[in-house]
Amino acid sequence: MLGRTWFLGVLFFAGVAAVGWAVYGGRLPPADFTFVNETEVASIDPALITGQPEGRIVMALFEGLARLRADNTKAEPGAAEKWEISDDGRVYTFRLRDDARWSNGDPVTARDFLYSIRRLIDPFTFSRYSYQAWYIENAKRYNLGGSTLVAGDPVEVELHPPADARNTVRGKLLLGKLVGIDLRDSKQTKPKSARDRIYVVEIDGHEQRFQVADASDAIETGVQRCRQVLLDFRQVGVRVIDDRTLEIRLTNPTPYFLDLLGFYPFSPVHRGCLEKYGTPDWTKPENIVTNGAYRLVTRRIRDRIRLKRSDNYWGRENVRLDVIDALSIDNRTTALNLYMTGMIDWVTVPPAEVLRELLKSNPPRNDLNPAPQLTTYYFLLNNTRPPLNDKRVRQALALALDREEVTRVATGAGEVPALSLVPPSMPDYTQQPCKPFNPEAARKLLAEAGFPDGRGFPKLEILYNTDQAHQAIAELVRKQWQRELGITASLRNEEWGSFQDSQQQLKYLVARRAWVGDYLDPNTYLDMFVTNGENNCTGFSNAQYDQLIADAAKEPDQKKRRQILESAERLLMDEMPVIPVYFYVSRNMVRPHVRGFYNNLQDLHALHAIWLDPNVNDKDPRPNEYMEPVK
Amino acid sequence: MIWFIVRRLIGLIVTLWCVFTVSFLLMRAVPGGPYSGERNLPPEIEENIKHRYKLDLPLYRQYAIELGNVARGDFGLSMRLQDFNVNEVISQGLPVSAALGIFALSFAITLGLSAGIVSALYRGSLADWMLMSLATIGIAVPSFVIAGLAIMLLVFTIPIFPAAGWGTLRQLVLPAICLGTLYAAEIARITRTGMLDALSQDFVRTARAKGLSNVMVALRHALPSALLPVVSFLGPAVAGILTGSVVIERIFAIPGLGWHFVQAALQRDYTLAMGLVLLYTLLLYVMNFLVDLSYGILDPRVELK
Repeated sequence: MLGRTWFLGVLFFAGVAAVGWAVYGGRLPPADFTFVNETEVASIDPALITGQPEGRIVMALFEGLARLRADNTKAEPGAAEKWEISDDGRVYTFRLRDDARWSNGDPVTARDFLYSIRRLIDPFTFSRYSYQAWYIENAKRYNLGGSTLVAGDPVEVELHPPADARNTVRGKLLLGKLVGIDLRDSKQTKPKSARDRIYVVEIDGHEQRFQVADASDAIETGVQRCRQVLLDFRQVGVRVIDDRTLEIRLTNPTPYFLDLLGFYPFSPVHRGCLEKYGTPDWTKPENIVTNGAYRLVTRRIRDRIRLKRSDNYWGRENVRLDVIDALSIDNRTTALNLYMTGMIDWVTVPPAEVLRELLKSNPPRNDLNPAPQLTTYYFLLNNTRPPLNDKRVRQALALALDREEVTRVATGAGEVPALSLVPPSMPDYTQQPCKPFNPEAARKLLAEAGFPDGRGFPKLEILYNTDQAHQAIAELVRKQWQRELGITASLRNEEWGSFQDSQQQLKYLVARRAWVGDYLDPNTYLDMFVTNGENNCTGFSNAQYDQLIADAAKEPDQKKRRQILESAERLLMDEMPVIPVYFYVSRNMVRPHVRGFYNNLQDLHALHAIWLDPNVNDKDPRPNEYMEPVK
Repeated sequence: MIWFIVRRLIGLIVTLWCVFTVSFLLMRAVPGGPYSGERNLPPEIEENIKHRYKLDLPLYRQYAIELGNVARGDFGLSMRLQDFNVNEVISQGLPVSAALGIFALSFAITLGLSAGIVSALYRGSLADWMLMSLATIGIAVPSFVIAGLAIMLLVFTIPIFPAAGWGTLRQLVLPAICLGTLYAAEIARITRTGMLDALSQDFVRTARAKGLSNVMVALRHALPSALLPVVSFLGPAVAGILTGSVVIERIFAIPGLGWHFVQAALQRDYTLAMGLVLLYTLLLYVMNFLVDLSYGILDPRVELK
């Protein structure tokens, strides 16, 4: 009996101690500014990320040659204090700041940028955004590795690094000239994999044979194993002139290149830090070296990322918030509850059903101002499958889609019906709209295609990723098509991973998709639909369209280039491989005492520009910058 | 006793191996992979990624390599939370889930046992009827509804608790209550049944005949044997509660393990999903083992072989 009591006593004490330890171990003093950063970030490595939550953190931690202005996201000097652009618009010469410093005190040099750009386009970095660097001369060929090499190319052969080396260290490089590529299996006509190629490389006058293979792979005699064979990096248009001067050469004049440089993939990373700790340990708060306005203090999974103002940042005098907490909360209702109880200062996306009510409140709220955003919601049509391979059918579906009804009934924040793929907010560009809702014309086209009143039309299936909002839209569109065209459609939902795969492999008939513009240029929407484009996902292929996109890329004259892109969109909106549905609006809620927070097209909100006005409370009628219309 | 432990250890290893195999095959069978994303990769780079994760190898070789790693306790890097390895994710989340779980369980056991005992002792009374009705409601109403009501009442109407978060005891109260309600209700019902059963046994009649008071009879003699079904229920319940509740952790933004279970599967995070599944298996097995051991302590008639 005594034993039992004793046992229970110990158990109880242990329980209390464990709770105390777990709870109080997680205690932090409050931050100056707290916001909900949606889901847990996938990484804080600038080369690896693609999402908005990751971007918010990385753009506070790192700073590229240019940075994006807080108000209109246009490029302004960042780590580079100035730059010169050659007359043909292809050569950029950057002058770095004397006082640009890493958080460990090292100067930020041109070599750091060279290292980081090379790392971004190294096929072994696995960067999803490496294509942002393809505007640089030969960067695409470097990034795509052996598949782009032809005889005569100068190449670099990377041998395997020693087994005990950090995974961020490159193997020994052998520089030479590619003599030719043989196939491992002589019966093959095309390599199935990069590992089927044998590269014959002339190094110092001797021919050597290399194959991408691991130590455990079988290999022919006379062939050496290597990690990868790439175009010689010296062919890529990035050059260090001196410690403070970097030259970047582009293939084509690219008017939005500076804006790209301000975006996170081009953030510099500290070579010493990476090579000392390796991936992913270099991203730990105790190891990481950054060059942005903030440094990383705490990182707790699914809880928060804590940032502190950097003492080494060149512009530290103008950074006003000292400690910032980014909470990872993916439940929108929870985020809103925290905001409503005054615990946080900024919610990125309140739940749609509440948002509708909040927008109706009278007097209008002083912390909510939805504004146009560079994102389009559209339906992909599988152009390879009948009956959708018939242009008339695609046009009929588009004509029978009542977008007004979609934005009125299914969405709730004042989204704008879309008749074009490129959003109307795109600067210096005129949208090329498709024909508006016209059921009469739709029925006529469908009849011409052989399906009068929808008779004989196979059943359509609308695919969407599991989400109430997408379901509501798909349901509505299904009804519209049924009503106007007499065709039946069913719905299918898949969770995110399978959904991506189905789009990729064209395992669908109709699927929803949304595209956030990567930069302020129509090209970010239009170049997706070139033949076999990575994000085409429709099987759409049109030689004239491919030509237009290629021409636009080469065109140095801005006005002509714009006209070419406009005619490309016109063609796209006639061929209708996709049906635009609506344009998104941003949905931030920001407390009135938050200043330096602006609505802009990319929904980017630089943390370094934000400050708090202590003289303002939540009831204050004076609007802050956020409540002003988008510039 | 020794044989009992050894047999259970072997059983544990076999169970873990079976769970590993089934999970491995299921994960590979669903479409999509850790590399699928919105911005698509050029095929050359996708090939590199597959090679790094060894997804380009035939399935049996992937299986052998991963089984070897897992056997050594190396679950590798999480495929989606790319800055962490699986052990880090678990070691950050488990203490949080466990703390919340212990709090919720203490609440559930205290409330459930008291209600169950009172109900049994005053069987058929108004108190019994009310307590058991409450317990039925507690079992029937899903925890997100309870959480929603609790937030409306105790966060917005009467603002005494914070809406969400982690780091203070005050933030722990609401989620612990919402999480514990279901368990409290279950425990109350099981305790009542167990008590009623025990109270009708001969040894209880003997105790009464000795002249012991009603309270002494109930707590000293009837309760230990009435606890047996409660303990069997608690074994798996503890394993479940320690690894976190998906719903409660999401609603109250608690950085535990619960949400990872769902996200790892949805995002095809093969390594993290495997680590979590095996952790849960291990906990469940250990808890059931402890339940069996405790039978020997609680009921002298049980002998472990």
